[in-house]
Amino acid sequence: MTARQWVAAVPATLVLLLALTGPWLVGGSTSTPVGGPFQPPESGIPLGTDVLGRDVLARVLAGGRTLVLQAAAATVLGSVIGMCVGVWAGMTHHARTSGAVLRVVDGIAAVPALLLLLLLAAGLPGNDTVVAVAIAAVSVPFSVRVIRERTHTLATTDYARDAEARGEPWTARVRFDILPGLIPAALAEAGIRFVAATQLAATAGFLGLGAGAPAANWGRMVRENSTGLQTNALPVLVPAVLLVALAIGVTALLDRAAETRVGGLGPIGRLA
Amino acid sequence: MRTVSWIAVRVATCAATLTVLSFVVFWATEVLPGDAVGVVSGPDATDAEREAVRVALGLDRPPLERYGVWVAGLVRGDLGVSLVSGREVAVIVVARLGASLAVLVPAAVGIVILAGVLGTIAGMRAGGRLDRILSGVTLGLIGTPDFLIATVLLVVFAVWLPILPAVAIVPAGQSLWQHPELIALPALALALGGFGSTMRLLRASVAQTVATPFAEFARLNGIRGPAYVRTIVANAAPPAVHAFTVMIAGLLGGGIVVETLFNVPGLGYELTRAVENRDVPLVQGLALVLGAVVLTILLAGDIITRVLQQRTRRQEHS
Repeated sequence: MTARQWVAAVPATLVLLLALTGPWLVGGSTSTPVGGPFQPPESGIPLGTDVLGRDVLARVLAGGRTLVLQAAAATVLGSVIGMCVGVWAGMTHHARTSGAVLRVVDGIAAVPALLLLLLLAAGLPGNDTVVAVAIAAVSVPFSVRVIRERTHTLATTDYARDAEARGEPWTARVRFDILPGLIPAALAEAGIRFVAATQLAATAGFLGLGAGAPAANWGRMVRENSTGLQTNALPVLVPAVLLVALAIGVTALLDRAAETRVGGLGPIGRLA
Repeated sequence: MRTVSWIAVRVATCAATLTVLSFVVFWATEVLPGDAVGVVSGPDATDAEREAVRVALGLDRPPLERYGVWVAGLVRGDLGVSLVSGREVAVIVVARLGASLAVLVPAAVGIVILAGVLGTIAGMRAGGRLDRILSGVTLGLIGTPDFLIATVLLVVFAVWLPILPAVAIVPAGQSLWQHPELIALPALALALGGFGSTMRLLRASVAQTVATPFAEFARLNGIRGPAYVRTIVANAAPPAVHAFTVMIAGLLGGGIVVETLFNVPGLGYELTRAVENRDVPLVQGLALVLGAVVLTILLAGDIITRVLQQRTRRQEHS
């Protein structure tokens, strides 16, 4: 790794660690007030209090795990579905069927992710799992596109055609001809999807989707505390900085990898 | 004639996608449990009252039949009536569209100009100092969610440099267009959110064109200055148009967040409020209109790109 990659990797890893272990480190309660609203930091409350006078440090510690888990679950789910559909579409000889599937996939990709997220969250309100499933649903089309392109390139190589002509079963062809070349691209793609999923999960929290009000969530903290910026900016700034460090860290790590493997972040365009 | 049949296929695909979207919208809002009965009947309603509301709203009929009625209404331009305000959804949509456009148009124009100029300069000198600086900046912008960019602007301008109003409160009877100072911050937030990816796409397109054999041929023939820039830009244009339409479609999505944060009374703001209130007909109408607008923009972009590509190809052959 280059120096630049280390600079990006260290904060991102720290934020991930903080998010995952944070809920175990919480000393006090995340929902009972410990003082007046928007108190500046003092002894006992190192980051001050939020809009309802709750301990900001406890809420920061507790508010990251849901977000990271939602993003991770959505990435895994979306990548697995994307791999299956993408590999099938890249290998099949049913050009019409795969063409039709790809058209539908493109159609879904065209609809703004937030719109689908809002719709699904409206159907099953107050549910964190729904947010993860909705994020997975909006990330599948992008994965399918990338995986299909790469699989198609691999499936039309001479060795893959040889294997097909020899009558190898398709499981063996996927295992030995396609997967070895596909894995790096799939990993880079999954990384990009993870960044997009974190952004969407944070935005979902910001818009108040997912688990209801007393639960802490970095995205929602930014929203609910933005009225008290003049008095205590920390309940907005701390979660915001954590989210940015995570997103930019992972993006910067991926930029180089993605550049060589899937043609850069550019062609993928907007992440979320 | 191949272009014509290609356009026909694209339009048909677009219509099919819209149909699928209408299914998804209907399914998510009516078949999933978060339904409208609780909203209309209120929290203290008895079971009998709930049942009466259910029948009054027509929710006792099978979903497929309700879907048919809803789509038949859509075709006539009837989007139903809002459960909360009792106004017609179509009227609300038209009223909110103006405010959305007031923020979206300046943002889109800003991105086209800024990303166009910077993308061309950076792409022409790929690897130069400006290119590297812009690469870092755009990476940061892509990595930052729209709501954080908007919040940062809110902090900077509303708290530290209070020269612009943070919340768009339009005086009654006036439109948002008459108040540029209210549009400035939301438009800037939207523009910054869309700038990163658009600039990167444009830069990639220009850099690719610069590396082609014909661009090298032009350079070796001593073509310099504006004539050379024109050659490159003309050939990099088709992917650029595509990038711009993707960007505008993305702005509609980003608008949901930015409008909510700055209280701009646009489509996105209305949509998040309708979702909070479980105002099912309003959610359906707004979601479908937003989806249809996005699909139409992308379709237009695809067609323009195709026509431009055909023209450059024909020029190459002649």
